[in-house]
Amino acid sequence: MKTKAFLNSMLVALAVVISVVCVRAQTPQATPPPPSAPRSVEVPKPVEKTLANGLRVIVVERSQVPLATAQLLIKSGGEVDPANLPGVTDMTASLLTRGTKTRSATQIAEAIEALGGFINSGGGWDSSSVSTSVMSSRISPAMNILSDVVRNPAFTQEEIDRLRRQYLNNLKVALGQPGSIARFVAARVVYRDAPYGHPLSGTPESLPLIKRDDIVRLHDMFYRPDNAILVMGGDLTPVSAFALAEKYLGDWAKPATELPKGTITRPATESGNRRIVVIDMPDAGQAAVIAARTGINRGSPDYFRGIVSNAVLTGYSGRLNWEIRVKRGLSYGAGSVLDTRRWAGSFLASSQTKNESGAEVAALTLAEISKLGSGDVADTELTPRKASLIGNFARGLETTGGLVTQVSALALYGLPLDDLNRFVGSVQAIKPGDVKSFAATSLNADSTSVIVVGDARKFLPDLKKQFPQVEVIPVAELDLNSATLRRVTSKN
Amino acid sequence: MRKRLLFMLLIGAMILGNIITAAGQTTMPKMSFRERTLPNGLHVLSVVDKASPSVAINVWYHVGSKDDPDRRSGFAHLFEHIMFKSTKNMKAEMMDRLTEDVGGQNNAFTADDVTVYWEVVPSNYLETLLWAESDRLAGLTVDEENFHSERAVVEEEYRQSILAPPYGKFFYVLQQKSFTAHPYKRPTIGSIEDLEAATLENVQKFHATYYRPDNATLVVVGDFEPKQLDAWVDKYFGAIPKPALSLPRVQTTEPSRTGEKRFTEYGSNVPLPGVGITYLVPSEKSDDAPALTMLDILLSQGRSSRLYQSLVYQQQVAQSTNANADLREDLGLFELTAIVAAGKKPEDAEAALRAEIKKLQDAPVAAAELEKAKNQIITSQLRQRETNNGKAQSLGDAAVLLGDPNRVNTDLARLQAVTAADVQRVAKKYFSDENRYVFYYLPESLKPAAGSQNPPPVDRADAKGGFAR
Repeated sequence: MKTKAFLNSMLVALAVVISVVCVRAQTPQATPPPPSAPRSVEVPKPVEKTLANGLRVIVVERSQVPLATAQLLIKSGGEVDPANLPGVTDMTASLLTRGTKTRSATQIAEAIEALGGFINSGGGWDSSSVSTSVMSSRISPAMNILSDVVRNPAFTQEEIDRLRRQYLNNLKVALGQPGSIARFVAARVVYRDAPYGHPLSGTPESLPLIKRDDIVRLHDMFYRPDNAILVMGGDLTPVSAFALAEKYLGDWAKPATELPKGTITRPATESGNRRIVVIDMPDAGQAAVIAARTGINRGSPDYFRGIVSNAVLTGYSGRLNWEIRVKRGLSYGAGSVLDTRRWAGSFLASSQTKNESGAEVAALTLAEISKLGSGDVADTELTPRKASLIGNFARGLETTGGLVTQVSALALYGLPLDDLNRFVGSVQAIKPGDVKSFAATSLNADSTSVIVVGDARKFLPDLKKQFPQVEVIPVAELDLNSATLRRVTSKN
Repeated sequence: MRKRLLFMLLIGAMILGNIITAAGQTTMPKMSFRERTLPNGLHVLSVVDKASPSVAINVWYHVGSKDDPDRRSGFAHLFEHIMFKSTKNMKAEMMDRLTEDVGGQNNAFTADDVTVYWEVVPSNYLETLLWAESDRLAGLTVDEENFHSERAVVEEEYRQSILAPPYGKFFYVLQQKSFTAHPYKRPTIGSIEDLEAATLENVQKFHATYYRPDNATLVVVGDFEPKQLDAWVDKYFGAIPKPALSLPRVQTTEPSRTGEKRFTEYGSNVPLPGVGITYLVPSEKSDDAPALTMLDILLSQGRSSRLYQSLVYQQQVAQSTNANADLREDLGLFELTAIVAAGKKPEDAEAALRAEIKKLQDAPVAAAELEKAKNQIITSQLRQRETNNGKAQSLGDAAVLLGDPNRVNTDLARLQAVTAADVQRVAKKYFSDENRYVFYYLPESLKPAAGSQNPPPVDRADAKGGFAR
């Protein structure tokens, strides 16, 4: 049931790294003492079964701390939002915990919090989820609530209107921050008008259009056991967890109708022409700089080449932070994310800097992306970056919540669950040439777009020298509903 | 201890007449720590936990932003960044080579009272990191170039945390103006002017004054052999001398407030107005601290909490709301804040916050609600202790800020012992009219025109949680 392979190979792999660090041992005080022999560890292994109604149930046991987490995933997220209704999938998921046929929103909150736990729901791009975490002795009543909110949401008009107002208020705050504006704009630049291009939680214009019928229809269509995965982790045995799944979700009826297929427009996989977009926000306290392009999907054979390439760029000692923060003091932090999804996700390299250095940071960011595709990464650089990636992965599994999240991601994308145990080997197999070819083909800087949100007076002249084609949009005219990004105003 | 804790939980449940017997089923595992003090004063705490082959190392220095030198606000935090530059045997950023490059991680944070450096590494690197931590405790050799580039990073951190987010300045002013005399009124992040004025000479003096073994607590949690740890600690830390000079400590006391004060601040980028109320409360060592923590949970933890239910859910006067028992070493601040919902007035949000305070003063909290808060506390402490570093931080906090590492095991019982009468008494005692400061944060466009005086520029950040590297 358990395997030693995973961290064992991780530590053996790490043991070679120190040779990079401890050159020339002199006195015990002047150079760091070398590491002792690494120790192996046992990592829990997920087990699974599928209930008669088609619900896939996965359990991953870890009993050191008396906590348990359960997450129910619906395999449909914001990607299924109709083009004119951005935010409807996320609103539907959030509304689950805002009232069922027998419990009000307040009763749900009181019941789960009386157990000392929480229940959260919301939409992602490729899935919607409800998760609860409690002391393991209370997992049964928590599962009872989770089951109720997934199966019997009331979607009352009062709660819909209340949540809509909350979303609109949250958007107001998000649209006051250069960093969040830049991320919204980057999605439109990369995906244009295709799915993944809109803000996940809707826009100021789309939220008022969402009707109760849209929500109920979406719930009927996608919230069904054969489109769901339940992942339970922590201080519980597979036997007891499977029994809870059967008790609370075993009689969740599978509809006679087929799951809708082919209703999803596949997001764009080509960036098309790169764009250089400035959102002019005169009162911005800093400029947010993002280099953005399409990335790869989670199932891509390039996945490990991609995440290792990204690891060379990101992290404290990754190239972006090294050049922008450590060497030049231009930012508190710079990094990148290769966000792999069901369809091609995005690659975003981002940082915030004083308005005056917005153009310099944009140039440095593109230069580092470009360099990765044109020169070889030395082993002395690649080995520690791989170690850092592996270490982050291993720490992500340290908590009950982290473990459930990682297992859920594998399950969502239909990947083998024992990929958890193959992660280290797959990362270690990547060679400098793999990084170079991935970066040259999939992270090409020349087709990467640039978004800068800030006080344009202070960086636009320099940015124009690099990019004469720059589009400048005043923040007051920003429209997140279409790829043009600009509000159409009547000219009188 | 495991049994004793269970016993206390059951007694608590019986006294309250509560029916949630499940409380007895989950116990807080006792943290079984070893403690020693070297002749040079270094305090060493350790916990063996071999669940994973990793180890967390914390070094807590009992110096924080309240100890910033005169006209050098933000210096303790800037200094924390400089600790990652060169030392006698390490060049700049070598700490990252010893952690990140072998699959570990490191960081540090500065709060009002402490500065904490931490690493998590594969356990076979423990000796390496003890060597590295001893080297930077022994002394720094940072040069002008590194000093200037890192100071620029801290200035960007200031912009990112205070200037760029819409409410950075609001939470900053709330901290700054809530104190009148105590150095807690100064920014942890500082001001650009004070950061620009800092020199390498300041760095060397600060290190000599505060970075000494008798002002440090080393915490090691994870996979190691106790005897081996002791030998390594002696080898690497034992020879660092204890300075003859005494440690300076803040002597300033904050006078009690004598009447309500109201402040209005304006910002250039305020999507929705902000409202805040603060009360001065005693030190985290006070006997009233557990009841203040309980008030924080009752008011603001989760969607069933009083502030969420009243302001966000029922009245819908707030986009978000929070309460925070920001308890510190010398004295604390109890803060209530709300970001006002679109179309609502700051006055409505203030009235709603004050109505919730009054309810806590007028009637004892129901047994089930108090029990809920206690369950939430146990769960969050369990969560904190899922990782070695979480355990190390809990232990360091008890030892350095509460003055007794045993508090890591006894504090939960103190919280469980809080009664509804305690909560009501403490709410009446501290949430008084004389002890109330009220803050409005509004867009510039609402600023009264000519004739009125402009408020001085603002330069401080929310100190909660401190600033990290």
